[in-house]
Amino acid sequence: MKILKIALQVTGILLLIPAVAMATLRFDNRSADGPSILFPGGELVSGDLYTGPEPDWSFTDDIFTIELQLDDPLSSRLIFILESEGKIYVISGYMSSALGRLWKHWAVQADEGDGLAVLRIGETRYPRQLLRINEGAVLDGVAAKMLSKYQGATPTPQSIAATRRGIEAGNSWVFELAARGG
Amino acid sequence: MKPKNYLILCVSVCLLVSLTILFVPGVSETIETRLLTFLSTNAR
Repeated sequence: MKILKIALQVTGILLLIPAVAMATLRFDNRSADGPSILFPGGELVSGDLYTGPEPDWSFTDDIFTIELQLDDPLSSRLIFILESEGKIYVISGYMSSALGRLWKHWAVQADEGDGLAVLRIGETRYPRQLLRINEGAVLDGVAAKMLSKYQGATPTPQSIAATRRGIEAGNSWVFELAARGG
Repeated sequence: MKPKNYLILCVSVCLLVSLTILFVPGVSETIETRLLTFLSTNAR
């Protein structure tokens, strides 16, 4: 009985440490001006608000991650960005597992909410609207860019088709970052 | 360990973990990087 009690106490401490660590990291970052590596931050405040004509988004090919903030709920995270045919997209993977949907809950919120968002690249903030793309030929370009930019692979018709199938099956969710009201 | 001492230990561990993450440079980044690796591997 004494051994069981000690084992339970040790287990309790071992569970307590990661729980406190996660809570601390999340709490510490919750209202920051931008996200950390993994935990969401608060409203993107710093940086100039872009108001001109639609930019040439090809410059994002040289940018690994951007900061994306949803207006509702007001939180921000780091995310990959993909440019294809003059439009920009973000992708949320791991959406077919419960752990993935918990991790990428922002995508569920964006899909179910109004999708209003702000992205920050460098010192510039761009007001946008997230529009989920479930299917269509546009996903071929997104898939090709995903493969070449983030997986270091040369896109082939087969690999593009496989990536597109994964998106259309809901394993990854793709959102276009459209101009607001556009 | 008596319940009172165990609770004191739990509170002490909580404080130690929180203060370490908040005030020791690099600890939070290391934890987040390892957690990201874990999630990337296990959330498929």
